[in-house]
Amino acid sequence: MKRLSIYLFFLLVCSCPTRAQDVVSTTEQLIADIFEQYTAESEEAIDYDSFFEDLLFCAQNPINLNQATREQLEKLPFLSDIQVENILSYVYQFGPMQTIYELQLVEGLDMTDIRRMLPFVVVGEVGNVNKKIYWNDLMKYGKNELYFRLDKGLETKEGYRFLPEEDQNSTFENSKNYLGNDFYNSLRYRFHYKDRIQFGVTAEKDAGEQFWGTTHKGYDFYSFHAQLNNFGKFKTIVVGDFRVNFGQGLVLHSEFGMGKSSYVLNVTPRSSGLKKFSSTDESNFFRGGGATVRLGKLNLTGFYSNKMIDGDTVNGMFQTVLKTGYHRTLDELSKKHTVNQQIIGGNATYTNMNLQVGITAVHTMLDNRLIPDKSVYNYFYFSGKKQTTAGISYRYRWKKLNVFGETAMTSNGSMATLNGCYFSPISQMSLVVLQRHYSPEYDTFYASSFSETSRINNESGLYLGAEVRPFRKWKFAAYADSYRFPWPKYGIDAPSVGKDYLLQADFAAKRNVAMYWRFKFEEKQTNLSNSSSVMPVIVPLKKVSARYQLTYSYGNFSFKNVLDGNLVRKADSIWTYGVIASQDVSYVFHSFPLKIDFRYQFFDAVNYENRLYSYEKDVLYAFSIPMYYGLGSRYYLNLQYDLNKNLSLWFKIAQTVYADDRESLSSGNETISGNRKTDVRLMLKWEF
Amino acid sequence: MKRFIFTFTIVVFCQFLYSQISNVIPSSNAIAQTSAGDSHNWSAFNNPAMLGYVENPEIGIGYENRYQLSELSTKTGQLALPTSLMNVGFSFSHFGYSLYHEMLLGVGFARNFSDRFAMGMQFDYYTAFFTASNSYHGAFIPQVGLSVRLSSGFSLGFHSFNPFQVNIKTELITKRIPSIFSLGTECFLSPEIVWRTQVDKEMSSNYRFASGFEYQMLQNLKLKLGVYGSDYLVPCLGFGFKTGAFLVDLNCEQHPLLGLNTMAGIKYRFGK
Repeated sequence: MKRLSIYLFFLLVCSCPTRAQDVVSTTEQLIADIFEQYTAESEEAIDYDSFFEDLLFCAQNPINLNQATREQLEKLPFLSDIQVENILSYVYQFGPMQTIYELQLVEGLDMTDIRRMLPFVVVGEVGNVNKKIYWNDLMKYGKNELYFRLDKGLETKEGYRFLPEEDQNSTFENSKNYLGNDFYNSLRYRFHYKDRIQFGVTAEKDAGEQFWGTTHKGYDFYSFHAQLNNFGKFKTIVVGDFRVNFGQGLVLHSEFGMGKSSYVLNVTPRSSGLKKFSSTDESNFFRGGGATVRLGKLNLTGFYSNKMIDGDTVNGMFQTVLKTGYHRTLDELSKKHTVNQQIIGGNATYTNMNLQVGITAVHTMLDNRLIPDKSVYNYFYFSGKKQTTAGISYRYRWKKLNVFGETAMTSNGSMATLNGCYFSPISQMSLVVLQRHYSPEYDTFYASSFSETSRINNESGLYLGAEVRPFRKWKFAAYADSYRFPWPKYGIDAPSVGKDYLLQADFAAKRNVAMYWRFKFEEKQTNLSNSSSVMPVIVPLKKVSARYQLTYSYGNFSFKNVLDGNLVRKADSIWTYGVIASQDVSYVFHSFPLKIDFRYQFFDAVNYENRLYSYEKDVLYAFSIPMYYGLGSRYYLNLQYDLNKNLSLWFKIAQTVYADDRESLSSGNETISGNRKTDVRLMLKWEF
Repeated sequence: MKRFIFTFTIVVFCQFLYSQISNVIPSSNAIAQTSAGDSHNWSAFNNPAMLGYVENPEIGIGYENRYQLSELSTKTGQLALPTSLMNVGFSFSHFGYSLYHEMLLGVGFARNFSDRFAMGMQFDYYTAFFTASNSYHGAFIPQVGLSVRLSSGFSLGFHSFNPFQVNIKTELITKRIPSIFSLGTECFLSPEIVWRTQVDKEMSSNYRFASGFEYQMLQNLKLKLGVYGSDYLVPCLGFGFKTGAFLVDLNCEQHPLLGLNTMAGIKYRFGK
């Protein structure tokens, strides 16, 4: 009876107008919102394809909380490790949940988290996950999806302008131009039967790449993947293109990694093991096969990958692994698939109630020797044809403490270690402390973990994060990170130090009104430009940022206002500023299957150091975080129209206009004459 | 000719000093030109969302005299017609004199959504007389506006004039038409006192920060005080009178360098 009363009480609470995420009306919007929170403080290109697809897959195949594993819950990136632990612990202690609203009884979960979880989880009966699959079920309940995307820039870029043959320089100049047309096109096919069987094919052609001609025929990039889950002893089998994530990412983590963001508690990557690769990212994946076998509390994984990668190969040596995936010019084509990379690796993970220990090892072989063009900053970067990396990771829960970490070593004897602890003394407060030390000599191909920069090497630091919910409707999140680079980095020609602090306050005023304020202070060191000194001179670079975001919705309309600004000071020079202000309006027709998003944005960033990034809505499976530098405005119109139950269409047109008297945009082959840049995107989705 | 050169010099000089290069855009009735959040007044060529809040048909005219020079005056006319579907507004503005003038003609559409927010869009035709080519040149300019009542006493306004940065390009010259992004707030401190703030950014000018109070002293008399700053700090003072269906607004601004800027407007509100 008491439990029933609690359910009823929380049922009422859940239906009361309290939280910000009510503003998010669809799962797609919710995913985009989560991604935006992650990327708001990140300048790295994060693979949105995989992020979006994983979460959308979770929405289509919700996780049964009553038999969820840690790995499954970790697919929800907005849940902190403490929250994942608490959900697992609750089900273990009190038995299967009777209703989804019982989540309110789980320590450390508030209405914001629960509303975010709702599209991705269900409360169901505990069943056999290894249930036999029949061909008829596969045909009847399997889902097929086909996606077709087309992008085009409306202004002609320099790379598509060819000199007439009569011009004496035409042969030389035209050879530098793009070989193909200016359309971007991708085609994807996906099949999935629940979360047991998934396979698909992806084909992509970037703008400028030749589709059918003398140098190339067909799409530039093809990818095939197949994944089987829970077949007898086999937990996972992957064939084709896949990704591998183990431990805290110091040895193997080939996808979206956690780091510093306004989700201050989510600092380390999730160990999802073997996973299909279905993105259009042309470099960050494995090609071959692998399997994870379940032997009681022990999971054993082995995989092998053999693929060609791009490199500037000359006489059996190359300086750089090229990851852009662009093969638009003769020069770019000459570097395509010039190096063979073979990777063999494995992992053994033992899990019991409170402890998880894993060992990961990976061996990489190249057929050409990688010899980076030696500068001071890359003096310790990997060079050679073979590399072995191995690491041990752990996670242990003791009362309210949750300690975790990983220590890894490469074949040259260099080491990287990351250790941390989550602590939740009371349900309204969660803390995390994380220490990392990556030696300058540690440099491995597929590491991705908590770091100030995208490369896992040459860094030591300490991070403290806290999330507090002191009052109803309010949430405060803060972090402080102090780090040092013991060896020069790119753009910093001497050992240096840095620190950054973030404070964010979220306020959900009403059911339909939410806002947050974010303040960030960063101080790092950088080279003094125009220095006449022979010795490297580094100076402090300070950046203060503030952001205010207001989201509100009325009926079919939803609105968003953003004010974002920064002040930057290099050495003793004056402070320079950057400002962005935007107004978003979205409308969902109820009697008509159409959604409209419109944004008008103004930006004014004096220097490159003041550059600002702003997330914007896009067509399905696309995500834009354009960089703004200079003075101007940008606006876009985004439409989604469901032609029928199976066929949906997305269309986007966006234009940036610069008002700072520049006569051309971008550089090289990407140069556009004038001060306007217009992009059009079209996406078709067919479900059958 | 001397007169022309003199006037032309003043116009160019003003464009450097005045906070926005927006001579042809008439100043609003709101004090310190805080019209982006002014949900109780629709002013021609200002936030078109405010047209959505108009309940009865109204017609108005305005005259603005910049720095006591008749050559720098702007004349305005506006008409608002509420309909059940949406409100329609017509507006006209003329700046300058016979040898140099700019004109704006606009038709706007706005709707009030359950008194919670209003959205508006206006399509303007801008035309100017170019002595170099001895002819008129023009361009179509859109305006978009939004006003949201976040609570009973607080609302937020957004307005963009010429968001696509349309300019007039002739063989000889390029005439920049102002492109302005404005954000404003309106807060009722009491039923009699309203406080407005606004930030404007015209693409090629400095930011303009404005704030003003309007105090309903008597049923028919309103006192307005405000200030805005861009290159200079400009204090503003105004009065509003109401007699029957007529509303009269008088505003003045004291630019420290250029002098006094005065505006007068009269509006007639028809009964339902």
